[in-house]
Amino acid sequence: MDFSLSEEQEMFRGYVNKYLNNMGHTKTAREFIKGDTESYETIVSGLAELGCTSINISEEYGGMELGALDLVPVLEELGRSVLPGLYLETNSFAVPVLEKFGSEYQKQKYLPAIAEGSQTFSIAWLEPGGSYQPAGIQMTASLEGDFIRLHGTKTLVPDAELANSLILPVRTGGGKGEGGISLVIVDMADLNITMLKQKNIDDSRHLAEITFDNVEISQEQVIGSLHKGWDILQEGLLAINAALASVMVGGMEAIVGMAAEYAKIREQFGQPIGRFQAVKHKIVDMKVDLEMARSLAYYANWALENESEDQVQAIICARLFAAEAYNKAAANNIQIHGGIGFTEEIDCHLYVKRARFYEHYLGSTQSYYEKAAAALGWCEPEKVEQF
Amino acid sequence: MDFSFTEKEEAFRQEFRIWLENNLPDGWLDGKRDIPEDKEQYSEFLRNWQRKLYEGGWAAIAWPKKYGGREASLIEEIIYQQEMVRVKAPPLVNYVGIHMVGPTLMQIGTEEQKEAYIQKILTGEEVWCQGYSEPNAGSDLTAIQTSAVRDGDRWKINGQKVWTSFGHLADRCFLLARTSRGEKKHKGITVFLLDMNQPGVETRPIIQMDGKHDFNEVYLEDAIAYDADIVGEVDEGWRVMIALLMHERSGIGAQVFTLEQQFEDLVVLAKEVQEDGQPLIQNPFTRKTMVDLYTRSRGSLLNYYRNLTKTLKNGQPSAEGSMDKLIVSELTKELFSQSLSMQGHQGVLWKEDAIFGDSYWQDNFLYSFGMTIGGGTSEVQKNTIGERILGLPKDLGR
Repeated sequence: MDFSLSEEQEMFRGYVNKYLNNMGHTKTAREFIKGDTESYETIVSGLAELGCTSINISEEYGGMELGALDLVPVLEELGRSVLPGLYLETNSFAVPVLEKFGSEYQKQKYLPAIAEGSQTFSIAWLEPGGSYQPAGIQMTASLEGDFIRLHGTKTLVPDAELANSLILPVRTGGGKGEGGISLVIVDMADLNITMLKQKNIDDSRHLAEITFDNVEISQEQVIGSLHKGWDILQEGLLAINAALASVMVGGMEAIVGMAAEYAKIREQFGQPIGRFQAVKHKIVDMKVDLEMARSLAYYANWALENESEDQVQAIICARLFAAEAYNKAAANNIQIHGGIGFTEEIDCHLYVKRARFYEHYLGSTQSYYEKAAAALGWCEPEKVEQF
Repeated sequence: MDFSFTEKEEAFRQEFRIWLENNLPDGWLDGKRDIPEDKEQYSEFLRNWQRKLYEGGWAAIAWPKKYGGREASLIEEIIYQQEMVRVKAPPLVNYVGIHMVGPTLMQIGTEEQKEAYIQKILTGEEVWCQGYSEPNAGSDLTAIQTSAVRDGDRWKINGQKVWTSFGHLADRCFLLARTSRGEKKHKGITVFLLDMNQPGVETRPIIQMDGKHDFNEVYLEDAIAYDADIVGEVDEGWRVMIALLMHERSGIGAQVFTLEQQFEDLVVLAKEVQEDGQPLIQNPFTRKTMVDLYTRSRGSLLNYYRNLTKTLKNGQPSAEGSMDKLIVSELTKELFSQSLSMQGHQGVLWKEDAIFGDSYWQDNFLYSFGMTIGGGTSEVQKNTIGERILGLPKDLGR
């Protein structure tokens, strides 16, 4: 029995932590929001040099061939610094999906490039209407010889301008159900697409609406079997949700640290406000939620790595708990800081905005509650509605 | 990260499981878990169970072999608790003796004290209680007023204790009394090993809001203890208390495992209760509540394991135990509150009129209110977490 990250994992966290602090912690996110991406670009190559991007890629393709748990320290640290970019989508969605379902061609093409830090992925799922249900996927993908012709619009695509490629579910077969959906990779460089930036409360993550007007891609860009994209997407979601829980834990860690430090130095009525139980207990509640979220997230990643029987509920519950706790803690953090917490100058708002960004990211909270209930055997999976 | 138990640990589990199955009172495993209510019969029942554990070598597994223990590892203690919870075993009437008094005496007791008490704790021949809380000293134990005044080689003790578990059955009390008053309130407290069977000691039952009697008031009127009954030094009882708490290695494990089981019971309830001809679990609102409770009860167990890992590595428990206590007690209260809500207005039916589970839900609902108070209130746990883990400034007045 040993429920902790290994010494190596903690040591690696130390390297990433030190690196991000040297880079100014939230400075990168702040500059990114203002449109200055220099520091972001430095960090992308810096993290690759540290080895972060190659952790879970097989040795054959230039990686370290480690597991989901080895990503946890990196994910927590990225969350702590509200880092912009697509590490989560690339290493915790594209990599596990390509490793398991990708063709040899796709693996050769993408995995070594991800490992060295020159390839990122974003996920283009939603369409206007905003539904994560299978029926919401209406973008047509007609098969024409060796090509697939894409026509339609994807919306709320994160950081598309930073992505080298997108993974998107498209409709290669008819109907509205799960069958007929395929998962395809689109390389941004090859394309003539229209991209419209969407204003977002969390501008450390950009969102865009992308219109595909009869864009042709090779059939080699389909991941796994044609028309079977929905099931592949579900597996990818497990991986990214486990990782997302850890990113949110990192954000909460930063918040609890900020709130506690501020409560020690801010004086009112002649004493530090952290002495008042109304303040102290609020911070303790945040700390307790943080540690619960961390325990659930560690276990979720362990369950994923070991494909344990309860992995679906373990992962979904970790994500649900972390999202709720992160949003709550971020809001309380402003309250503890008082007026200064409401300003742009202090970091509090960065976390409130990022927490909200993640709340319904890649699936609504309500749909995940129902998926967890189905995984626990409390209702029929087919009755689970996507919202 | 490794959630497995070693072969040796699994063998230990099997051995204890088999022993329990062969030695629990008749019918216990089939659900006949009635404990007599009459004081004499109740006492006899619990003492018999304690005696049986002793005879099987299962009374004090963490104790050194020379005192009759097994020198069980912390993990084996956890397994022991898991197995006890699994069969809903009767309570340990001598919990205080085995987990607190015994180990403390082994560490800092005199040879005479070890000789006189340890064996009898193990056999259950002498049951111990704690004499800590007083009417005006609850969360703030340093406010105790019970006084012990020297009279030759004797001490005359006067005052009142409250919330004494098993006080009505106990033979001896691990008692905190004030022996001097100084600037610092935690100075001047002394620990006495008090004989409960004497004229100056009177116990009166406290009837709880669930109608049961687990606790007592203890009135001390010129009760007598001797120099030889002092643990550690005069006026240095606070240190003894800290040493005693360090023996609580496994923390609130038993409650965490119990909560896991209670959650499973709640799932069964959600399938049993009907709403418009459908099991309640078919209602998405109920399912959301259930997923939420599942998540947090899993979270409390996992958090406990993570803290346990720290205890294993550091060799002693840390302030994180306060977090486990806070989480599990608050969550248990919420779970039983939810269980009543799920039964609709019928949820108020109690005892023989309860519709589900022989009043298990109503009894535990009522009992659960004590859980966030006893053993340190949730507010005290939050102070500990805030001050010892987050480094926030201490309250004024402490």
